[in-house]
Amino acid sequence: MIRFLATIIGILTAAALLQVFQATTPGYAQLTGPILTSGAQKDTVSSQTFSVRIDKAVQAKTLVLKRFSRTIERQTQGTWLVVSAELWAFQETMPLAGASIRGASGRLYVQTHRADAAPQLLSLKKVQPGLPTTGILVFELPEEEATDMTLILSKQASPRLEDEVHVHLDRGMIESRDKVEPGNGGI
Amino acid sequence: MVASRREAARWWMALIALPPLLATALAVNGWRNIEELSRRGEWQVQPVAADQVFAGAGWRLEQARLIGDGRDTKQIFPGQMRLVIIRLSAEAKRDIGEDWGQCQLRLTDGKGHDWTPLDVILSSDLSRDLDPRAEPLPGCSIASLHPPAKGESMLIEEKFVLPADAVPHLAVRLSFASTRPHAISIPLALK
Repeated sequence: MIRFLATIIGILTAAALLQVFQATTPGYAQLTGPILTSGAQKDTVSSQTFSVRIDKAVQAKTLVLKRFSRTIERQTQGTWLVVSAELWAFQETMPLAGASIRGASGRLYVQTHRADAAPQLLSLKKVQPGLPTTGILVFELPEEEATDMTLILSKQASPRLEDEVHVHLDRGMIESRDKVEPGNGGI
Repeated sequence: MVASRREAARWWMALIALPPLLATALAVNGWRNIEELSRRGEWQVQPVAADQVFAGAGWRLEQARLIGDGRDTKQIFPGQMRLVIIRLSAEAKRDIGEDWGQCQLRLTDGKGHDWTPLDVILSSDLSRDLDPRAEPLPGCSIASLHPPAKGESMLIEEKFVLPADAVPHLAVRLSFASTRPHAISIPLALK
C-alpha cells in the first residue's frame, strides 16, 4: 500500500515538475526571435549591426507621385505615412527587407505597394558599411492606428536572432499635410 | 521472485542507460549543427598562393578599378562614395561541375567590414555606361552556372560601392559551398 502511494506521489510530483518546466520555458519562436533595440524618434537608434535616424515623418490624405513626367495622385480612406530616414550599416552590406509600422491597436502594417513608383525608396536600396543611406518608407494605414505608431526596421523580413530596431514615432513630431510628394531630395 | 528480480535489473539498466543515451543524442545532433554552421561561414581565410588550386581553378586578380575620384574616369562621386570594379581570372585545373555553387565574393577591409557586389541589373547597366560596346562580364553567381571546362579560363567581374577610406585596405574574399569553411583572399592594392 505504501509502495503504491509512493508511486502515485512520484508520478504526480514528476507531472507537476514537467508542468512547471513547460510553463516557464520560453517558446522556440521567442528564443530565436529578433534582438530588439528601441528608441525615440528624436534619437539615432543603434543596434549591433545598423542604426537609424528619422529625418522627418509626414502624414497626408493624398500621395503625389511622378512617373515618366506624369503626376499620379493616390488617395486613401486612411492616412499615408511617409518617413524619411538615414541608415548606417556597421559591418556588412545590408538590404532593408523588413519595414513596418505597428499601429495603436498593435497591428502591423508593411510598406504599401501603391507607392512603388516613389523615388528613393529605402526598400530598393542596399546600405553599404561606411556610407550613410537616406531614403523614404511609405505606409498606408487607418487613421485611428496613427495615434500611436512604432516604426520597425530589420535586415530580414522576419528576423531570427537578428537585429530589429523599433523607433517610437512622436505624435508631436509628425507633420500633417494635405498632400505629400516624395522627390529625389526626400519629403 | 527470480523473474521479478530480473525485471528489476532490466528496469535499473534502462534507467541508468537513459542519461548517456540522451547525452549521446544531444552530442550527435550538436555535431551535425556545428558541421552545418562551419559550412556556412568562412572561418579559414588564406591569402591565395601563385599555384594554388581552389574549387578546381587557379585564381588571379586580373584588374581592379577605382571609380569616383576622377582618376580612372572623369566621374566624381559625392562625398566618400566610390565604385570598385574587380576582374578575377579563373583557370580550370579540372572539371569543376557544381563546385562553384553558392559563390560568395566580397570585399573586406580587414577591420570586420564586408561589402557584397551590386545586383546583376545595376552591374550590367554600369558596364554599359562605362563601355557601351563591351559585353558585360558575368558575376560569380552567373559564372558558377557555366564554369569553364578543364584547361580553359574565364573572367569574372563584380562591382562594389564603398567608402573612399576603405579603399587602401581592400581584399577580395572568395568561397563556394564546396570549399567553406575555407576561403581565399586576394589583396587589391588600390590607392
